[in-house]
Amino acid sequence: MRLLLAKYRHVFNVGLQSNIVYRWNFAMRAVFSLIHLAFVFILWSAAYRGETEIGGFSLDQTLTYFVTLLVLQFFIGAFSEDYEISEEIRSGLINQFLTKPINYFVYRFTIFVSARLVSGLLALVPLTLALPLIGDYLTFPDEVWRLVLGLPAAFMSAMIQFTIAYIFGMLTFWFLEIQSFVILSMTIETLLGGQVFPLDLLPDTIYRISQFLPYYYQMYFPAAILTGRIDYSSASQGLLIQAFWVVALLVIAQVLWRRGLHQHTAVGG
Amino acid sequence: MLNYLKIWLASMRYSVVRSMMFRGDFIMWSLVELFWMGVSVAAIAVIYQHTDSIAGWTQYEMLLLIGTSMLIQRLLMGMFWSNLFEMGRNIRTGNFDFFLAQPGHPLFMVSTRKIDLDSLLNTVVALAIVIFAVRKLGLDPSLGDLTIYALFVGCGLIISYAIVLLLASVSFWTIGTQGVEGGYFTLYEFSRLPKQAFSGVANIVFVWILPMVVISNAPARVLISGLSWSDTLWMLGTTVIWLAIGISVFSRGIKRYSSASS
Repeated sequence: MRLLLAKYRHVFNVGLQSNIVYRWNFAMRAVFSLIHLAFVFILWSAAYRGETEIGGFSLDQTLTYFVTLLVLQFFIGAFSEDYEISEEIRSGLINQFLTKPINYFVYRFTIFVSARLVSGLLALVPLTLALPLIGDYLTFPDEVWRLVLGLPAAFMSAMIQFTIAYIFGMLTFWFLEIQSFVILSMTIETLLGGQVFPLDLLPDTIYRISQFLPYYYQMYFPAAILTGRIDYSSASQGLLIQAFWVVALLVIAQVLWRRGLHQHTAVGG
Repeated sequence: MLNYLKIWLASMRYSVVRSMMFRGDFIMWSLVELFWMGVSVAAIAVIYQHTDSIAGWTQYEMLLLIGTSMLIQRLLMGMFWSNLFEMGRNIRTGNFDFFLAQPGHPLFMVSTRKIDLDSLLNTVVALAIVIFAVRKLGLDPSLGDLTIYALFVGCGLIISYAIVLLLASVSFWTIGTQGVEGGYFTLYEFSRLPKQAFSGVANIVFVWILPMVVISNAPARVLISGLSWSDTLWMLGTTVIWLAIGISVFSRGIKRYSSASS
């Protein structure tokens, strides 16, 4: 067990180092995100003109939701994991994992965790600089249970995000190019993950349905817990459905990996 | 001049043949764009469930604005985006040499290498959204208004082109700027907002200095409330200025370009 941990700790350290190399890419991404945040602020401020509440929430609460979303994205979002995995399969780099006592999924997940640690911390820098501008809008609820449930929810969201990306990467075994699949699914994830608007603003029936889909648990769910958009009972119920999706996606990923390897022919030396 | 037109037509023919060769790809990418447009429309539909106006714009006025913004973006994506995006990459790899050796102005050769049929197909969808919104608003624009609308959309296309050219030309100076071109999408998001939503510093930056907001607002306004001379002057002036900036940065860059070693 200790050996196992030591093995992946090495992977984690390597991941940390190689991602620090990309610090400028992350920094640029963070700047783009801040500009996007300006868009969100302007849009919602205009929508709230003449209204004190939309869907039962004030402007400050809604803006806090979007800021939380931005931070979470850099800590738990999958960026280009799907392409990286796809590239490793296509180029035959995965062959080396087939002969070594290392699990490819755990290996990639470890790298993902280290990458998000780097990008998350880096994203805090521009956000802290913007704090004087946006600080007045931020309003978080002070119930302790929100942290107690919100953090595991965020962790499971990270697992869901990564596993979906991993599954798309697996498609490389069957398809030459996965980019269009990824972007197509990204539109659905963006919308049903609550990045365009908080999902609770959806008409009631659609909102109910969305709670059973994995997208709800990719982003909206932890953000909604932390910013006070859902109550205790729906949060604890949600954690169960979220856990179900984590397991279901892990199973799908594992099946695709097994089947994919049957398809796969390692070429070259 | 005729010669250039012939070159462009040849590139188009080549692109059409290529798209037909990879039909599956073509269908997937058309769907991708369609879905992204759906996301914007859905956002508007949901927000207007809870409020009657965004900065004084009603739901269908907003839809008209968004449709117009999409129309310009689809045209840019269809005609120029991938050409300019690849230019940045080619400068970094040295493949840009190839364009300098071609019998035509390098800017023209770079910009018209291919067209993306899927984006051009989706201009029809964007146009349909605009027409739908116009109908819902009960507008009856005159032929003159429609002409001005088309002219403004053309101006918007040129301005967008100039901005992407500017961003892609940054590659002449620095190598590590992969993805700067993507900044266009971040900035272009603001074209989905009504001008009246901006105030203070944001107003100065996004409405007065950067052209994104005016690009979509001016044409939409023409259909909603008829021609305004100040908008027309502003639009034409902005177009000339941004195109001049884009081209001059590109020309300066090309003088600096010294190929890349392999």
